[in-house]
Amino acid sequence: MSEEDKEREETQVAEMRFSEAVAELESVVRDLESGTLDLEDSIERYERGVALLEVCRSKLEDAQQRVTTLMGELEDEQSSPDASSDASGE
Amino acid sequence: MSEQTALTVSEVLQQARSSLERIRVAVVGEISEVSDRPGYKAVYFSLCDGDAVLPCLMWRREFDATGLTLTQGALVEIEGFLTVYAAKGRLQFQVRRLALAGEGVLRMQVAALAARLQAEGLMGDERKRPLVELPERIGLVTSPRGKAVHDVLRTLERRYPLAEIVMAGVQIEGRGAVGEIVAGLSAVGEAGVDVVILCRGGGSYEDLMPFNDESVARAVIASPVPVVTGIGHEPDTSIADLVADLRASTPTAAAEAVAPSMDEVARRLDHFASGMMRGLSASTQSARHRVRALASRPVLADPYALVSRQSQRLDSAAEALDRALPVRMERDRQRLETLEGALKTSGSRVLERVRLRKDALGDRLRDLSPLGILGRGYSICFDADGVAIRSAALLEPGMGLNVRFAEGRAGCTVDSVDMEGT
Repeated sequence: MSEEDKEREETQVAEMRFSEAVAELESVVRDLESGTLDLEDSIERYERGVALLEVCRSKLEDAQQRVTTLMGELEDEQSSPDASSDASGE
Repeated sequence: MSEQTALTVSEVLQQARSSLERIRVAVVGEISEVSDRPGYKAVYFSLCDGDAVLPCLMWRREFDATGLTLTQGALVEIEGFLTVYAAKGRLQFQVRRLALAGEGVLRMQVAALAARLQAEGLMGDERKRPLVELPERIGLVTSPRGKAVHDVLRTLERRYPLAEIVMAGVQIEGRGAVGEIVAGLSAVGEAGVDVVILCRGGGSYEDLMPFNDESVARAVIASPVPVVTGIGHEPDTSIADLVADLRASTPTAAAEAVAPSMDEVARRLDHFASGMMRGLSASTQSARHRVRALASRPVLADPYALVSRQSQRLDSAAEALDRALPVRMERDRQRLETLEGALKTSGSRVLERVRLRKDALGDRLRDLSPLGILGRGYSICFDADGVAIRSAALLEPGMGLNVRFAEGRAGCTVDSVDMEGT
């Protein structure tokens, strides 16, 4: 694989959704465990799997909950009806 | 006086009691008095309908179990039996079941709606959709106030912060709640989520009524993605619970049902990692095995084996050659000898012929030789230098000459020279 292709593939993996990456990782493992791949393909799939694994793990580590509010305003737990509520939801 | 034996007061009251207690009735009435004192074994209240009053009692344990607080003027429905409190000679109603009258009517209505929706097949298990394992976006329809929403958000953050929460904060009890809940479900569905949590904290039966509403039920059914309900804390199941794809007992339980835990996911990834390594290792092992097997094959392990056949062929050919050469040579030698012999024979014959010819030629030669000529009487004159004289012109009187005859020579001197007659 050329350097260009490698880079492109790396960005592509990084941009995947978590569930997509996990799904592909699952299929990589299945391929490798099937024992039907030749040596070069095994290595290639393994490397792909490692890249996906990296992305998944880092997404998990960096994950921060995002709350989007379509209607209503999220009130603080302790807030009284009179206090101006701090809209903590975006 | 009749022949009947007269009863005692206790006896007559006992008889009345026995008769009355056999009959179970339900009574609706308004509460006119309440006596609820801690330490008393029962709660006492009076039910009235404007014309009559019925004293009631309910054993404390059973009363507490209802979770109700009785207030003056509240409309209640009681179930139990009439009895007599002999000591006071009073009629009493022993309450076995107590409910707010309004609630009774409501429950009936809910039951009827549930039956109808069930008949439409809307509560069947086959309708219930499975949840996505790793949701990207989770919809949340609940009140933006109170504890439940924060419990849910906290639970989701702890378990699976990867998922984005799309929230519709709505009114969840009272007038207007039904409309807002339906709007919230619709908005969240359109925003594109993988699953919806519809929940609220605990409350009275009346408080929970919006979740028994038909519009809400149909909105849950119409959701494009699975709906998980977590309504109240009680064992009561609302209609929304019945038509939902999954019912959880509380809002927090609903959050837990919807999102996997980080630990689970991390473990799954570890599982994949080791699976990959096993798979790769198996591949390389098998490749190594093949190579090793091939390497041990004779053609590769002992390359000489390959040439050995050929070199053996060479050797035996060389050997054959060695053997063949002397034989050949012997043959050739024999041939040579034969040829030599033949040559000799024919050679000597030729020689003989040559000799004969030579003799013949010799004879001729002798005949032609000047010496032969001499035999016929000629003689040759040589000058002092030994050069044969052919012409007398070369002579001068007094010159010495050697004359050769067939036999012998003579030394002479020139007396005179005569050129006439040439």
